[in-house]
Formats: sequence, structure tokens, C-alpha cells
Amino acid sequence: MRYPFPVGDADFIQGDEAIARAAILAGCRFYAGYPITPASEIFEAMSLYMPLVDGVSIQMEDEIGSIAAVIGASWAGAKAMTATSGPGFSLMMENLGYAIMTETPLVLVNVQRSGPSTGQPTLAAQGDLMQAIWGTHGDHSLIVLTPATVQEAFDMTIRAFNLAEKYRTPVILLTDAEVGHMRERVYAPHPDELELVYRKLPANEEEAKYPFGDIHGDLVPPMPIFGKGYRTYVTGLTHDERGRPKTVDAEIHERLVKRIVGKIENNKKDIIDYETYGLEDADIAIVSFGIVARSAMRAVKELRKEGINAGLLKLNVLWPFDFELIEKIAENVERIYVAEMNLGQLYHMVKEGANGKAKVELISRIGGEVHTPGEIVERIKRDLR
Amino acid sequence: MQIRIAGIGGQGVILAGIILGEAAAIEGLNVVQTQDYGSQSRGGHSIADLIISKEPIYDLMVTKADVLVALAQLGYDSTKDSLRKDGILIIDTDLVKPDREYVGAPFTRLAEEKTGLALTVNMVALGYLVAKTNVVKKESVEMAIKRRAPKGTEEINLKAFRIGYEEGLK
Amino acid sequence: MYLKPSYEIRDKYLRKDMLPTIFCPGCGIGAVLQYTLRAIDDLGLNQDEIVWVSGIGCSSRVPGYVNFDGLHTTHGRALAFATGIKMANPDLKVIAFMGDGDAAAIGGNHLIHAIRRNLDVTVILVNNFTYGMTGGQVAPTTPKGLRGTTAPYGSFENPFDIAELAVAAGANYVARWSVFNYLQGINSIKKALQKRGFTLVEFLSPCPISFGRRNKLKTAPELIKWYQKITVPISKAKDMPPEELEGKVVIGEFVDRDRPSLVEEYEAYKRRAKKIMGWEE
Repeated sequence: MRYPFPVGDADFIQGDEAIARAAILAGCRFYAGYPITPASEIFEAMSLYMPLVDGVSIQMEDEIGSIAAVIGASWAGAKAMTATSGPGFSLMMENLGYAIMTETPLVLVNVQRSGPSTGQPTLAAQGDLMQAIWGTHGDHSLIVLTPATVQEAFDMTIRAFNLAEKYRTPVILLTDAEVGHMRERVYAPHPDELELVYRKLPANEEEAKYPFGDIHGDLVPPMPIFGKGYRTYVTGLTHDERGRPKTVDAEIHERLVKRIVGKIENNKKDIIDYETYGLEDADIAIVSFGIVARSAMRAVKELRKEGINAGLLKLNVLWPFDFELIEKIAENVERIYVAEMNLGQLYHMVKEGANGKAKVELISRIGGEVHTPGEIVERIKRDLR
Repeated sequence: MQIRIAGIGGQGVILAGIILGEAAAIEGLNVVQTQDYGSQSRGGHSIADLIISKEPIYDLMVTKADVLVALAQLGYDSTKDSLRKDGILIIDTDLVKPDREYVGAPFTRLAEEKTGLALTVNMVALGYLVAKTNVVKKESVEMAIKRRAPKGTEEINLKAFRIGYEEGLK
Repeated sequence: MYLKPSYEIRDKYLRKDMLPTIFCPGCGIGAVLQYTLRAIDDLGLNQDEIVWVSGIGCSSRVPGYVNFDGLHTTHGRALAFATGIKMANPDLKVIAFMGDGDAAAIGGNHLIHAIRRNLDVTVILVNNFTYGMTGGQVAPTTPKGLRGTTAPYGSFENPFDIAELAVAAGANYVARWSVFNYLQGINSIKKALQKRGFTLVEFLSPCPISFGRRNKLKTAPELIKWYQKITVPISKAKDMPPEELEGKVVIGEFVDRDRPSLVEEYEAYKRRAKKIMGWEE
């Protein structure tokens, strides 16, 4: 297999470009998108590479169509992805719910910019966190990953595909304009070095009869993709294990939705990923994610230089959320600061996790610029005075 | 080391930043390159920021630049406050009137006279910057130019880079 | 044409556990479904290489009744989903079973762009001039002056002519019939299924409960008689002045051509890309 970019080697590239290259290495062969700042570079890279690796990259009439095409491609057997930013992300919400309900593996990248509405198209934000987790209607669960560096954007794109295939679910890669546009040194492994996951297919005709049944006891049914003679019927209506619409049966609805939620929530241990620094002896914890976690890391180092025992929790996965971990941290520190580029979204989840065992404070910043480390240090020192 | 290259759109400021970043990456250094530009494609301010370090880099934007390269007055005016007091200011001496100590050369004029193409000003300035700071090796930049310069322009860009480099050694 | 007994078609192609259908007495969707299945049967197409796609509405329930792979999607988006299916696996034949509101209102943008791209798909469009499932609201196809629950005094908007729209946007094959023209209908579907690119067969289809009842056309026979009154064969329409065609619906074959399809174009595009990049001669 020949690749149109260096593999088994490092390169100096933008976050958006890294996401596109990683997707192709993860086996993505279908991309549908619509131009939008600051995610267009992902689409442009896909358009350059896909025809060369016998994949498809197609420009749809809007973002609704983009995610729809991706879902269709996934049922036709392809690993598929789309990328967008706030306005397009909002348009995708209905079909994201369809993907959850029909248990369709796909990767949806949101390169966040400031909202609401058209907002600040070229500037970074983290204001779509709640929407990524809760944006589509109805009870549901899904997976949300968030990178802080270009290398992480690369690595997490591959992980996003693996998790999507493993759990038969949409996975959101929630990044931002800063990571998307910054260039860093990125190591792209040779495909032989990668561990790639492919969706479970039905082992036999009997298994294929239950595209939505927990036939293996792991809550994730094998996926009878189209064109293999399974004659699968897929619907966004509430359906039974065989996929037949059952729209007024409370028990069937509850069983279906609880399994879809359960396959994520019961596998928290496998999915959740985070890094800590200095939390062992910390009096002050900073919780942060994505681009802001870099400033938070520098802030923690500076605080420690000044004799303040600060520590960092950098979340790499935003959903499922480790409420227990936050509670454990809260038991050992006096105060938790949540640094994020919005008016307080992760803050609410951390507050719930802390369960009153430590005071939770928000260090918020909006308008497009990332918190400087100094800003975080100053805020914490001021509170300590 | 924090390096900031500032000019106006169309001067190739971002490409100079990318090539310098690539050179650092070639040497195995950690490097972050970001950019800031006005919404117009030509004529607005254009800034390329680089942070180069042996250590992991957490910072994103240049807050206290060790080096500021200013290729136009507009670029200088909008960035001069970010240069450290003891930092190095490098300017195109024909186009920027600074209000502090500086080094530099008439980069645009040199580009035009010696390569026949004013567009190579970014590479002339980059050569000067590398000679003055030794932030990366000359050879690494040359390799980066071969990789990143638009096809067919590698030679003229290399020539411009070497002209700037020689000027910087003076 | 020899027509097999209906029960043979039913037994061969329908999922028995999904029956009865949700369709009301007098509804035309069952007839259009039967024509489509007869066309597939007559052509001897492989059931396992066909995917049925639909959006939301009465006609969109059809993929659930037929024993094929099927994707019952969100309102209006069937053709966008179909784009992904076809492009990811061009060996599959895709049939989109759509209603007029689904295809031309909420899905109007996807419709014109799927046609513009000449996506390889056969659209079977059931046009009943109304939103049947939600209780008879006016549709973008409702003839001016006729009533729906959201225009109780008679529609004040101009309707779309979907077949003409499809021709203008570049479809390879477009035909329109009423459900009464069953032989022509089956033949058109057969033609459509054998072609590359975008093909569309539209059927005027009775909805006595939600549409007819509000417009003094209470039963299917009354609606069929009305169709006979308002339809004009395309051969005849050609020679009619515009005033005479006012309020009429032209039926027949609108276009039959062979412009390169999206799948063909993309295959050529991949070869071009590899050539430009020097990967292939």
C-alpha cells in the first residue's frame, strides 16, 4: 500500500492535516464534507489524498448531507468521517442522533470556533463541549475525544476510529481552531505499527438476524453491513433486536436505549483517558482539556516553582466522564480550578463530580485567545491571598 | 526560543515561519508554529510565530519574543511590544523605521537586485535570521526549503536564503 | 407483458412479519411498491445487491416491508444517505423510495444536488400532493387552490413540477405516471433500474384520507378519475398552448439520456489524480 504522505517518519504539519492523514492510516476510505473555517483544511487534505488511495472524498450540499453520506457509507462497509465547525456541527445534530440510534460507526471532527452563530470563524473556542455530549435530542451516549497537540490530534483520530468500530458508535473528535491550524512535529507510524480495530461482522446468518440485539453479551451487536445478503433493515424509529420498528412498546424502547447508553457507560474504563501532573501532593488541582491544558500545564509548573502545590488533570476524553476520579481528587485538594475557553461547561461536570468535597472554581476565557499561563497563575495566587 | 516574523500579507511571512519550523523539526527539536493574519489575502498584517525548544512546549503564542523580524512597518507596529527588552530586532532597513536598537539589511532590495524577484524577501530575511541567531543549522533550512518551497522555485529560494545568510554573517 | 399473480410477488419480496402495512384504504403506495417489485422481478435483479433508502413519511416505510437491505433515514435526507452508500460500494444498486414532501420540500436541496451530480440511484417518487402521515398539510406539490390543514382556504403557493425539475437539473431518465398507468409505470421503472446515473419515476398516487377528503375526492376511484381529468400525455401536451395546459399534469417519459454518472465520473477522477501525481501512467 502506497501513501501520499510520509509514514514511519516525522513531519511538520498542521493539526487539520494530521487529522486527515491519521484518518487515512486508520483505514478511513470515505469522507464527505462542506467547506467551513477552520475545518476546511481537513477536507482539502482528504480531497488530495482520497482518490490516490482509492477512497472517496465528496463535497456535499451542506453539513446535513455530509453526515448523512457518512452514515450511508458506513452501512456500505466503509470507515467514514466528516469534519466541521460550530455552524455545521449544529446542522449535523439530527443525523448524529440517527447514527447513535442505528449504532453506526463514524468519526465526526469538530474544529471549534467561537459561537454562538457565525461568531469568530478563525478563532479558537471550547464552547461546543455540552453540544458534543448532549446536542442531539433524546437519551443517548457517545464518545468525545479532545486533543491538545498536533500529535494528539493525529493519535486520537486513529483512536476515534478504533473506538467507533469497537463500540459501533459515532465518536466525536472535539478540537479547536488553535490545534487545527498550528504546526508541530508529528510522528506518523507506519501502518504495520498500528493496531486497527474493525467492526464485528455477523459470524453466521443467525447472528445477522439480530443487528440490534445483545447476542454476544457485550452490548455491541455485530453489524450486518449492506450487500452481503443479510437483508438488514435499519431505522431511526425505536426498533427491536431484529430492527423492526416498535414505536409504542415502552419495554422495547427502554431495552434499546439503555443498551445503547450502556455500551458506552459500562465500558468507561476502556474508553476514558487522562493525564495527571503533580496531583499526588497537590492542594490545588487544575482540570483542563484541549488547547487550554497546555497553558494549564505551564501554570502548574510555575505555581510549583513558587512553592504552591498545584497539580493538573488533563482530560483526553470528555465523554464518558469520570465523575469518580474528580471526587477522588476533590477529597485530596482544597480547591479545583476548571480552565476552559467558554463560560463554564466542563465546570458543571467537575462540580458534580467533586460532590461538595472541594470548592470548584471556573477560570473562563472567551473571545478567541487561549488563556496565558500567567493569567491562570495570577488568578490562583489572588485567591490564595 | 520565541521567534516572531511580522509583515504584510503577500510577503511570504507564513511560509518563512513554516520553513524555519520544518528546519527545527528536521533537527529533532520541538517546535510550535502558529499564525495570525487579517481576513484579507493581501495587504493586511501577517504574523508567523515560532517556539523552538529542546523541552516539551506548552506555550502557544509568542508572548515574549527573543527575536522579532519585521518586514513592514505595519507588522512592526503591531508586534513591537511583544519583543523582550534584550531581544533581537531584525528589520528590512528600507521599509521599517524602528524606535529601538536593531540589526538588519534592505531585504526587499537585496531580493530584487540579487535574485530578480522581490517575492524572495522572506527567504533573504530567513537567511539573515539564521546567521544571526544560529537557532537551527543552515543545512536544515536548506533541506526544509527543498521540501516546502513551491515546485520549481526551490533554487531561487535557496539562492535568496544564502544571500540573506551571507549578509547576516557580516 | 405477462403479469405474475400478486401473491407470488408478495411471497417472494415482502417481510411477512412486517405486514400488514400502515397504509390506509385507498392509498396508492402499495400499488407503486408492487410496480417496483414487478420491475425488479422481471429484470431478474439480485435481491442481495439492492439497497432501499427512504426518508420520513408514509412511503418511507416501504424499505421496512421489502426483504432487502434497507435504510430508513431522517426526513428529506434519503438521497444524501444514498450518496454515501453508492459511492462507498458502487456494486450496490440503490432505490430511493420517497414522498413528495420528503423529496421536494425538506429534501429539495439534496434532490437537486443528487440530480446535478447524476448520482446512480433510482428514485421512486410517490406524489400524493399532501403530507399524509402527519394529517394532510399542504405540500410543495399541492395544486394551487386545493386544501390542506395548513392552507384550509386553499393553497396560495405555486407547486413544484418535480419531473420537470429533475429534467432541468440533469437527470438521465425521468418519467411520470399516475398509479392508474400500471403497465407504463412498470416499464418506466424497469428502464430506470437499468440505467446509470440519476433516474426518477414519479407517480400520482391517491391519498383519499388526508388529501381527497378535504378536496371533494373522498375515495380512490374519485381520485383516479380526477387524475384522468387532469393528466395529459406528453405527446399531446407538446402541441397544446400554455393556457390549455394550465392546471394539467403532463405524464409520460420526459427524458431518456446517458450522461456520465457520478460513479463513472469519480472513477475517471481517481485515474486522473493518480496520473497527475505520477502514480500511474
